[in-house]
Amino acid sequence: MGVDFRLPPPVQAFRDELRAWLAANLTDDVRDAARRRGSDDDAALAVLRSWDRTMADAGWAAIAWPVEYGGRGATALEQLVFTEETIAAGAPTPVNVIGINNIAPAIMEYGTEQQKRVLLPRMVRADDIWCQGMSEPDAGSDLASLRTRAVRDGDDFVVTGQKTWTSNGHRADWCALFVRTDPDVPKHRGISCLVVDMRSRGIDARPLRTLTGDAEFAEVFFDEVRVPAGALLGPLDGGWAVATSTLSHERAGAARLYAMIRLRLRDLVADLRAAEGQGLVEGDDPLVLARLGELDTRLAFLAVLCQRSIAATGADASGSASLAKTVWGELEQDVAALGHELLGAHDPGGRWSVARLSTRSLTIAGGTTQVNKNVTAQRVLGLPRR
Amino acid sequence: MNLELSDEQVALRDTVRRALAAEPPDRTWERLAALGALDILVPDASGGSGLGMVEAALVSEEMGRARYAGPWLATAVAAVRAAAAVGAPFVPGGRTAAVALPWPGHEVGFALDGDGRVTGTQHHVLGAPPADVLLLPATRDGDVLLVAVEGVDSAAEPGLDATTAVGTVAVDGAGGEVLGRLPDGALDAVRDDVLVAWAADALGAARAVLALAVEHAKVRHQFGQPIGAFQAVQHLLVDALETVELVAGGVLYAAWAADAGEPAERHMAALRLKAFAARLATVGDIAIQVLGGIGYTWEHDAHRYLRRLLGWSVAFGPASSYQVEVGRRVIRSEAPSAPGGRGRGATSSRRRS
Repeated sequence: MGVDFRLPPPVQAFRDELRAWLAANLTDDVRDAARRRGSDDDAALAVLRSWDRTMADAGWAAIAWPVEYGGRGATALEQLVFTEETIAAGAPTPVNVIGINNIAPAIMEYGTEQQKRVLLPRMVRADDIWCQGMSEPDAGSDLASLRTRAVRDGDDFVVTGQKTWTSNGHRADWCALFVRTDPDVPKHRGISCLVVDMRSRGIDARPLRTLTGDAEFAEVFFDEVRVPAGALLGPLDGGWAVATSTLSHERAGAARLYAMIRLRLRDLVADLRAAEGQGLVEGDDPLVLARLGELDTRLAFLAVLCQRSIAATGADASGSASLAKTVWGELEQDVAALGHELLGAHDPGGRWSVARLSTRSLTIAGGTTQVNKNVTAQRVLGLPRR
Repeated sequence: MNLELSDEQVALRDTVRRALAAEPPDRTWERLAALGALDILVPDASGGSGLGMVEAALVSEEMGRARYAGPWLATAVAAVRAAAAVGAPFVPGGRTAAVALPWPGHEVGFALDGDGRVTGTQHHVLGAPPADVLLLPATRDGDVLLVAVEGVDSAAEPGLDATTAVGTVAVDGAGGEVLGRLPDGALDAVRDDVLVAWAADALGAARAVLALAVEHAKVRHQFGQPIGAFQAVQHLLVDALETVELVAGGVLYAAWAADAGEPAERHMAALRLKAFAARLATVGDIAIQVLGGIGYTWEHDAHRYLRRLLGWSVAFGPASSYQVEVGRRVIRSEAPSAPGGRGRGATSSRRRS
């Protein structure tokens, strides 16, 4: 079979079905809430949780999950299409996206039957809100150096320490908490994962206001919190494997990258045209057109880079995924910068002003661009470590 | 959806790679002709290989990697596609050929008189000299015809890159054979195919020079360690890799779209490659930076690759004007035109020259 960018007919049919369902069910109030995702807006959060339930009831939630856990066991191409369509339609990212993609796979692999039966359906419907306790004040890019410790005491672990940059930490019902259970071995080997009820005594979750002024994250303090030993997820001291476990066929992450920028660029073009109509922007300025053209070009190339890593049948030999993340962060920053430069004065505090600030996180969160480049240099180019 | 090469495509690439590396170098054109690499885009029915632009891009990438100086792109892509556009299949055999393509937005350079004689000039013609056969787009009565002329001397335009032949074709009342009428947009479509294949050539050169720099960074020691262990050097090389892999994706898509895509989309895909040409040349710049002093010497091949990349960056106009054109299409969001139809006018606004 030669190179072919077309989707096979069954996947096209899947796209048509999803598109029709979104057209019939996705309302403007949900789209508005999607734009305010990550803000302090409690009303928006309520809409988002309700939307997650709607999606789940219709069988459109966590489609990459196996059928037995309420997913669809979707193929890589179905995940690609799902991601493209939901983002293009302006549908929200699930409230528990981190839980669905990063925590649930570990629960499926290591969890008890009780955990699987109770926690997973409530996660996907956003009945419970999940957070992931990873970053600490002194463990950012160097995550394995985390210091929050859990000491066994009878039937419990006693947890003390501090997490930070915890998405939804101040709203969460559950936390997949990474703790040090053995301080005497090399740092990757002494980490365990606990599923912690966030209502436990001794937990203090304080909203962490980011540079945009919103509180999407929290700092979470643990002061001798007693966690039952049964909350251990995966083997004792085997938390690093739990942290890196993902669904073996989860591929939608790469599609999110270009699909999001496609949406942003579409928004930018729409706003530029509107501003041009009001005489606020010179739509034929070649300097503006050149930058727009360069952004569109990088986006188109990024899309193929992502699609190659999604459609790859074997290993991702070219390291497409790590490169794609680097490209994505900078590209979305550049789109926001152009939007702000051209439109910020006419819409102070508007979406391009906010995006100009908020997109700074894209080259930091989930591993900084610089650490990512180190990884690419060593794993893809085979350059030596120092 | 399949974005990986088939076994046959990999075999083709490897065969061409071996032919380009074989001895003696002055027989390479004959070797390429013998294995069908010149007829790759000629339809089966006309005695060619009947392959598509994905395969042509693979072959072209090998040309760039090997810094091959023969006029493969001008012959096997430009001439074959231009002749096909007028329904007069051109089978190169062992001959070399070139098409006097104007830059986007410019009028064709030639006119045909009532006696069938061609007069005019076209600068910057890829593959001329040394082309045995020149295909000249010429106007007559409002039509653009494709005329084949032979035995015309063209003047080489010496550029930075000694491995890419570019020249000026000037004829005054030359006799030729009218191959047929070029439909609207056909010349732009031919140029698009040339852009895609040329981008693939530059991609091959970029990959090769990046590999030289990466290898150097592993073995060159300073301050008691390989320079490739320094993050500053690593990040430079990753930046270059990023550029290479982005272009690789763009080439793959554009080559596929050239045969299978909607007209507006295939045109846009070709424009994007050229819009990125200046950035692709930075791979050569970075390689020389990492190579350091040795990379600045005449003996080292780094500058030869950079020259090849710079040849692409000035081909058919500066990258910036293509960025402007892509941006114009993005902000105007032109609906895809009907298949085979109009609206393919490359950079749509006519330049005054």
